[in-house]
Amino acid sequence: MNGTMKRIMKRTWMVTFVSLALVSGTVDQSWGILDQLLSPPAEKKPSQSKGQPQPSEQKGLVDGIGGLLGAKEKDIGLIKKGLKAAQALQPIGLEEEIAIGQAVAIEAFARFGGEYKDEALTTYVNLVGRTVAEVSDRPELTYRFAILNSREQNAFAAPGGYIFVTIGLLKTLKNEAELAGVLAHEVAHVTQKHMLKTLQRSAILANVSEFSLSAMNKDPKLFSNVIDAATDMLFEKGLDKEMEFEADTVGIEYTYRAGYHPNGLRDYLATLKAQEGTADSRFFSTHPSTGERLRRATDTAIRYTGASKYPYLTERFRSRMGPA
Amino acid sequence: MNDRRVLLVMLTLGTALTLVPSLLFAQTMYVSRDEVKLTEEKSPTSKIVETLRRGAQVRVIEKSDRHFKVQAPSGKTGWVFKFTLSDQQVGGGSGGNLLSAVTGDTRIAAREAGTGGSIRGLKETSERYATTKRVDQASKDAVQRMEDRVIPREELLKFQREGSVGEFSGETP
Repeated sequence: MNGTMKRIMKRTWMVTFVSLALVSGTVDQSWGILDQLLSPPAEKKPSQSKGQPQPSEQKGLVDGIGGLLGAKEKDIGLIKKGLKAAQALQPIGLEEEIAIGQAVAIEAFARFGGEYKDEALTTYVNLVGRTVAEVSDRPELTYRFAILNSREQNAFAAPGGYIFVTIGLLKTLKNEAELAGVLAHEVAHVTQKHMLKTLQRSAILANVSEFSLSAMNKDPKLFSNVIDAATDMLFEKGLDKEMEFEADTVGIEYTYRAGYHPNGLRDYLATLKAQEGTADSRFFSTHPSTGERLRRATDTAIRYTGASKYPYLTERFRSRMGPA
Repeated sequence: MNDRRVLLVMLTLGTALTLVPSLLFAQTMYVSRDEVKLTEEKSPTSKIVETLRRGAQVRVIEKSDRHFKVQAPSGKTGWVFKFTLSDQQVGGGSGGNLLSAVTGDTRIAAREAGTGGSIRGLKETSERYATTKRVDQASKDAVQRMEDRVIPREELLKFQREGSVGEFSGETP
């Protein structure tokens, strides 16, 4: 072996040794730090015990630093007021989301024929819905599914996990994978917070500095206006079409994660497309073109290779639905 | 001289490429819901090694189609249904963002604290809304029934096992 080769071998071993040392000794830690740096901010889940001081009583950093610098209480107050205005941009919290969801749910029952009273079928819809929801991106939320006694084909999701499907739509479906696909689309609206984001961008909340339960209790008119906007969006105008496309894509992913054939939603859209112009459904006015949705859903579902091993569960669906 | 540099670069790249899989397997993930089974085999029906709680931090050791082999905080290893894991930290966080730390206002963090399951019954705000809008009692009762409906975990698992869906997907019923 000549000198040049020896030097090359020596350098190669050094590189290998340093790399191995990095991997075995420090990579776990540095990777963890990198993970944290690259990951989106974690959801905040602290508990607020009764014994703790209420937010208004708590002293923050501004109080402390302001006091140290000798600033007057009035000045500190002004600074805090400015910062609180900036906080108005914060997302709507979970309790407020559930309050909005409940009010929208009440309106859904009132406007779409009330509750379809079939305990066994409602339980079945909840079982399929829960199977999909627990593999979603907000599995900690409790999702509730109900059937509306309306012959028109429709399904929608209110914030907070209140999800509805009409008996008219259920009777159009052919198998459990299609039901899972439809419910997964609605679960996706909740996980992606589509309605909340739209409400926050709307004129109704443009000048609102605080949208908390206590603020809504003090100003019921504000809450009422928010629900009017939400129901108008959900039942009449529909969400932004890009949100609908996103709910299709995310919903297909949830269907696949739940172990159903990812073609479920696509197949229902194909049925809906065939009925366009004849079916009694507000789907056509509140959703983007069914043809475009079908094309995109087909493109999405086809990407799941090996999908053929996942079930449609046609027989179970038929037995739970009962005679047509 | 140039040839030696090229050789050195190639060897370094080769070493790095060999090590990349090890780096990936050092991935840290978090359990996204409660009662996640850590099992001996890639099947929820195999022997349970441990039950993991929501927020538990695990180290991914091996990946397969729908299951990950992980090391639990206890040091035990086993397989979990991969869609019960999240790459984002969940639960147990210290809460609060920079702005809330500055103003001392923890309401935003606190509002995100609860889980949907812990909040039951119609909220005062929703109740008052329905009364003001004169929505019929039947609609309010229907929402209350949605709130009250409880699906026991055992019933859900039985349903999933029979249909080979959820964590039983890929299994023969």
